[in-house]
Amino acid sequence: MADIKNMADINNMNVAAAPTLKSRRRGSKSKMKEVTAKIIFIVCALFSIVAVLGITGYILYGSVPALREVGVFNFLFGTLWSPEYGKYGILPMIVNSVIVTFGAAVIGGTVGVFTAVFLSYWCPEKFHLEYKGKNKAAARVAALINKINLRAVFDQVIKLLAGIPSIIYGLFGLEVLVPFLANMNSAGIGQGILACSILLSVMIIPTVASLSKNAIEAVPQSYYEGALALGNTKAQAVFRAVVPAARSGIVSSLILGIGRAMGEAMAVIWISGNRTLFPTGLFSYIRTLTTNIVMEMGYATDIHRSALIATGLVLLIFILIITLSLNLVPKDFKGKRGVKKLTSSCNSDVKYLRKGKVSEGLKIFAAICAALVAICLAAVVIYIVINGIANFSFDFFFSKQQIDTPTFAPAFFATLELIAISLVIALPIGIGAAIYLHEYAKPDSRPVKIIRTFIDTLSGIPSIVFGLFGNIVFARLLGGSSVLAGALTMTLVVLPTVIRSTEESLHAVPMTLREASYGLGANKVRTIFKVVLPSAFPGIATASILSIGRILGESAALVFTMGTTLTFTGNPAERGSSFTVLLYYCANEGLYMGQAYMLALILLIFSLLLNLAVYAIQKRVKKSH
Amino acid sequence: MKDKKQTVKDNLDIFDFTSDIAVNIKSLNLYYGNFQALKEVSMELKKNEITAMIGPSGCGKSTLLKTLNRMNDLVDGCRIEGSITIGEKDIYAKDIDLSALRKNVGMVFQKPNPFPMSVYDNVAFAPRTFGIRKKAELDEIVETSLKRASIWDELKDRLNKSALGLSGGQQQRLCIARSLAAQPKILLMDEPTSALDPISTGKIEELMSELVKDLTIVIVTHNMQQATRIADRTAFFYLGELVEFADTQTLFTCPADKRTENYITGRFG
Repeated sequence: MADIKNMADINNMNVAAAPTLKSRRRGSKSKMKEVTAKIIFIVCALFSIVAVLGITGYILYGSVPALREVGVFNFLFGTLWSPEYGKYGILPMIVNSVIVTFGAAVIGGTVGVFTAVFLSYWCPEKFHLEYKGKNKAAARVAALINKINLRAVFDQVIKLLAGIPSIIYGLFGLEVLVPFLANMNSAGIGQGILACSILLSVMIIPTVASLSKNAIEAVPQSYYEGALALGNTKAQAVFRAVVPAARSGIVSSLILGIGRAMGEAMAVIWISGNRTLFPTGLFSYIRTLTTNIVMEMGYATDIHRSALIATGLVLLIFILIITLSLNLVPKDFKGKRGVKKLTSSCNSDVKYLRKGKVSEGLKIFAAICAALVAICLAAVVIYIVINGIANFSFDFFFSKQQIDTPTFAPAFFATLELIAISLVIALPIGIGAAIYLHEYAKPDSRPVKIIRTFIDTLSGIPSIVFGLFGNIVFARLLGGSSVLAGALTMTLVVLPTVIRSTEESLHAVPMTLREASYGLGANKVRTIFKVVLPSAFPGIATASILSIGRILGESAALVFTMGTTLTFTGNPAERGSSFTVLLYYCANEGLYMGQAYMLALILLIFSLLLNLAVYAIQKRVKKSH
Repeated sequence: MKDKKQTVKDNLDIFDFTSDIAVNIKSLNLYYGNFQALKEVSMELKKNEITAMIGPSGCGKSTLLKTLNRMNDLVDGCRIEGSITIGEKDIYAKDIDLSALRKNVGMVFQKPNPFPMSVYDNVAFAPRTFGIRKKAELDEIVETSLKRASIWDELKDRLNKSALGLSGGQQQRLCIARSLAAQPKILLMDEPTSALDPISTGKIEELMSELVKDLTIVIVTHNMQQATRIADRTAFFYLGELVEFADTQTLFTCPADKRTENYITGRFG
């Protein structure tokens, strides 16, 4: 079926791309078109640079009053944060952020990397259960289990874990993790360093695991076989030859995970404990850089507001350093110091022994990590589903919107408009940028490298910084928070996703198709629009879905750009709450927990559906190839 | 008491190489799924000899080589009948220890495959696998192995440089040194020079003649001249069958089988 459709497409393309005498006569006009198109694509590509510089610039500009009043040194190294008394020292928050991030990197990084190892080398693709009894039901169950591709299941588990909105993690942390930890220590305190580290670990596992898995699977098979041929057991070969060979990719995945953990705001806001002092233990209340902004941005004015923006600046600098350090990870092994001079004076009989217990142990640990990841997802999903259903209320979904009670309809329409406006702006710019990078620019040329660095940087900027920027630029320009201001902010957030996903799909379009089009005399613009883009459609659809997922799950960038209200007129120039923002509002004061759970369930269902959609598209693309 | 038990369990020298026959293959059949790649192959490989396996592509010679250290285990759907005995042990017995087998039966691959580590770490890889941690011992093994692979003089000043920076010929000799560091009794070489230049090839052939004094070498080669230059005995394979196995001299001067003659005189399809 797909083949027939493709054939039809190609026929159409040929007809469409065939030059006519008419078009040749209008040569100069079509040349103008070519140049105009190229300029537009370049502008799209430069947009990421403008965005990064703009965000950095405005955050810097907004920080100046506070930094001037307080002094850079006093701001960074002051240990007291007390806006009422004009004290703005953020050192405790810097320390807290660093500790929590470190904890997440250690726990989440370890679990993520070992999960990746397990999935690459031990996770069975097929079960081989044999059932010889007569019970038909049991035989059917066995056959059903044999059909499961565990590796594919785990891929989806990791994707789903990545797709769960921060705010849901926050809710889970508040209602499950914190009480659990509180039972474990004598003081009865659940919030703090440990809770934040654990929750952030879970959130960075998908990043670390999926990127590490790519790195491990890119290691040449010959390293694995070479190690086996030297008498290594499978576990030894994996941990002594394959994993070390993948180290640059693994380190990169950890760095990205660290960036993610450092910039996370909404997941930790309810579980940090919100105390602006240095930590005294695993269970001491803390406040991080991100939560400092979220807690106070809503009511801050003047210097206080500027100090919060400056907090964002410090966070941004941390993130920029983390992102840029990615470029410093050596791609290949270049040799290392170690062996200075051989000391082979030993003439003893060297005895070779059977070893490998450590590697076997690591193998078991890897399996445990993978199981843990699956359990994490199951725990969050089951918890949200049960509570969402238990709290179901007819009124929430069908009653008219009210000023004092959260309802479904206004949030639904605000979210819908938010998504629509963001996509309408982000898709053309992102696709244009991808076209420039892939179809026009020389690969690996200097401008491309620079643009890519900026795109990577943009994708590393934490949501809360986007939120700050949207608040001080878009919301101010548009005269206050509004759905439109939120959408403009989200445009920046999803742009890197759109560019990357589109570029991948452009890459998948065979060169021969372009050549065929040029061979028929079509010019570049025509080739791109009539031949390349239609073939790249699945990738663009994927880009849209991923963007929708990101917009749907975003909260930190929206709280101070859309505004938290319970009503929405439908006019995008006015305030409205998306699902996530409403969820934040509902659970923040603990007044509307029932509604919060229902919203969490709605978000979960949507992210599940979006995952399914991406899966379906990818499966179809695979089939048609 | 406990110590003694430990050494018995840890003992890797489970093979007995006192007899003259190092490898004994008996009516070996090998299948990839439904395809039969080896048919009723029987042969005895003598100790301290170089045995060459020749034949057109797809004749099963590389497959046979891989069965000798069970690297064919990595191939999905590979099934085997018959028996292979190495050092008096059936290597397809259920209780065989693959680590010990591969330590004793080393392998050099067609394409050099050094690990992305330093020269030193490459050579020390197998000793470390088998629990050797003392620097003095490792140093000794690295030096002896590189010397045995006659690449010591070229590499002694760059032991801590990446192995990926070496030339193809050097990489291959490093891989040989890496295998030697496991102290194997048998060395399997799968077209070890096919990716190399003539000078490097010459060096490796020289090296093999030297090495065979203390171990047994089995080499698969596409190059008949190479077989005549280095092999004591040569086996000719065709379509999964062992057609002829004789002294190299005999096989190339007066082959018994018509198919062998056709192949060595270049009259083959």
